[in-house]
Amino acid sequence: MMRVSYVAAAAWEGFWRNPVMSLASTFTVSLMLLLFAFFVVSDRGLQAAVGILESKVELAVYLDDNAKPSDILALKARLERDPATSSVLYVTKDEALRRLKEIAARRPDLAVEDVSGNPLQNSLEIKLANAQDSKRISASLRDEIGKGVVGDVIDNPSVVDKLLTITRVLSVGGVAILAMMLFVALFVIVNTIRIAVHARRDEIEIMKLVGATDWFVRWPFIVEGMLVGALGAFVALAAILAVAPAISAALVSFLDILPVSLGSNFIAELITFVFAFALLVGAGGATISVRTHLAR
Amino acid sequence: MITLDDVSKRYPNGTFALRDVDLRIDAGEFVFVVGSSGAGKSTLNRLLIREEMPSSGRVVVDGQDVARMKRSQVPHLRRKVGVVFQDFKLLQTKTVAQNIGFALVVTGHHPDVVREETDRALALVGLTPRRQHFPRELSGGEQQRTAIARALVSRPRILIADEPTGNLDPVTSWEIIKLFVRVNELGTTLLMATHNAEIVNALRRRVIHLDQGAIVRDEREGLYAA
Ligand SMILES: Nc1ncnc2c1ncn2[C@@H]1O[C@H](COP(=O)(O)OP(=O)(O)OP(=O)(O)O)[C@@H](O)[C@H]1O
Ligand SMILES: [Mg+2]
Repeated sequence: MMRVSYVAAAAWEGFWRNPVMSLASTFTVSLMLLLFAFFVVSDRGLQAAVGILESKVELAVYLDDNAKPSDILALKARLERDPATSSVLYVTKDEALRRLKEIAARRPDLAVEDVSGNPLQNSLEIKLANAQDSKRISASLRDEIGKGVVGDVIDNPSVVDKLLTITRVLSVGGVAILAMMLFVALFVIVNTIRIAVHARRDEIEIMKLVGATDWFVRWPFIVEGMLVGALGAFVALAAILAVAPAISAALVSFLDILPVSLGSNFIAELITFVFAFALLVGAGGATISVRTHLAR
Repeated sequence: MITLDDVSKRYPNGTFALRDVDLRIDAGEFVFVVGSSGAGKSTLNRLLIREEMPSSGRVVVDGQDVARMKRSQVPHLRRKVGVVFQDFKLLQTKTVAQNIGFALVVTGHHPDVVREETDRALALVGLTPRRQHFPRELSGGEQQRTAIARALVSRPRILIADEPTGNLDPVTSWEIIKLFVRVNELGTTLLMATHNAEIVNALRRRVIHLDQGAIVRDEREGLYAA
């Protein structure tokens, strides 16, 4: 019974009946979606960075020169059983020296003085399965310093720590800011549609008196709300796609050690999600504002 | 077709517009509702399409209890009942043809049907030459005929006309009444609130007389005054 052409025409007419208001709410929706996209992209990027760093995180346990081999093996076995570690490698002081010389050979600014003795120590190199656990493991190992086996513990997960903090702040702050923006966008859409409804209140009254259904009254406004959402999404995505190459170039040159990959489907997913979200917000806002008017 | 059982209507401001009204109108009847200003004629009409709810009693239209029907059923009730409103309720931003076709457009009819039926309704009330005019460019009588055409355009089973000749000269009034008689003869139940004694007395149809919200007279072939 519902004629699509009627609904589309009525929605379009409604949108341009009050262009300032409609464009203002379109702009608000764009801003919300831009913020939304910004958070999604940063979050994805940081997650990727954390993932890459995590696979590299190591703890080094320098062993006491006098440690008994059986104690060292026991410690190694104990660490290997810990689910937070992915591998534990025993590196002798000779092996460590060989590596150092190798590095020096590739770096002209470093030179290994001819050393007769070996100043390095035997060590255990621990690869972690999960960066979050590095604190716990290093703390428990530090407790054993000076007890005969563990000489010192070196951990360097501070970069990961910082990244984790940033992602946490971003996701909490992002959710808060997004919630606020969502509220603002809904508020603006609700009011835009409410004004549109008000402008057509005589028409709505007569529509209902001659037997139009509630849905017939409602649809043009919902479509108008969705139009605001879709246009907002379009503007936001155009802006994102315009600056995306510059930003990713900057990211790559800044984080060249971190090949942050957002996945090939990511852009398609983002576009779909932004549009779906925008349509939902538009339709939801419109439904709220029409509902109060149709109550009677 | 229409039954009222002990119906009273009290508006929120305390005015009693109808008191204990019992009424039965059969399909195909032509009924005049008369009574002085404020007697409750328009209120009676509003109850029939659930524009207002009865405060007590039961209103049944075409077998359906109007007050108890589901909200989603109301549009179907209103499509069966064409109403010529006392204040016309025309849209100032739409032309005569658009105002008339509106009743079909908003009930989901195909544009071809809307065009065809609008042309028919325009011809019925003699407004074809005014089809592209806006209501403010029309005389009171032309506006009234536009309202009549909109009520007729969807071929309703019941036609309620609230003082449809209030702004018409005697000649046009008679033309409209002849149109109503024809529509009634084709099977539409007709309910007409009026102050026009000449027409009521000439037609000798059923007359329901309201006074301060109560039925004081109901005659088969009645006159305007007892
Ligand atoms: N919406 C309303 N709210 C409160 N009182 C109302 C309302 N509509 C009508 N009334 C009152 O109800 C009574 C009946 O009004 P109604 O409009 O039904 O009279 P009527 O018979 O149609 O009069 P008229 O011949 O002047 O059109 C009047 O006293 C009127 O003041
Ligand atoms: Mg009246």
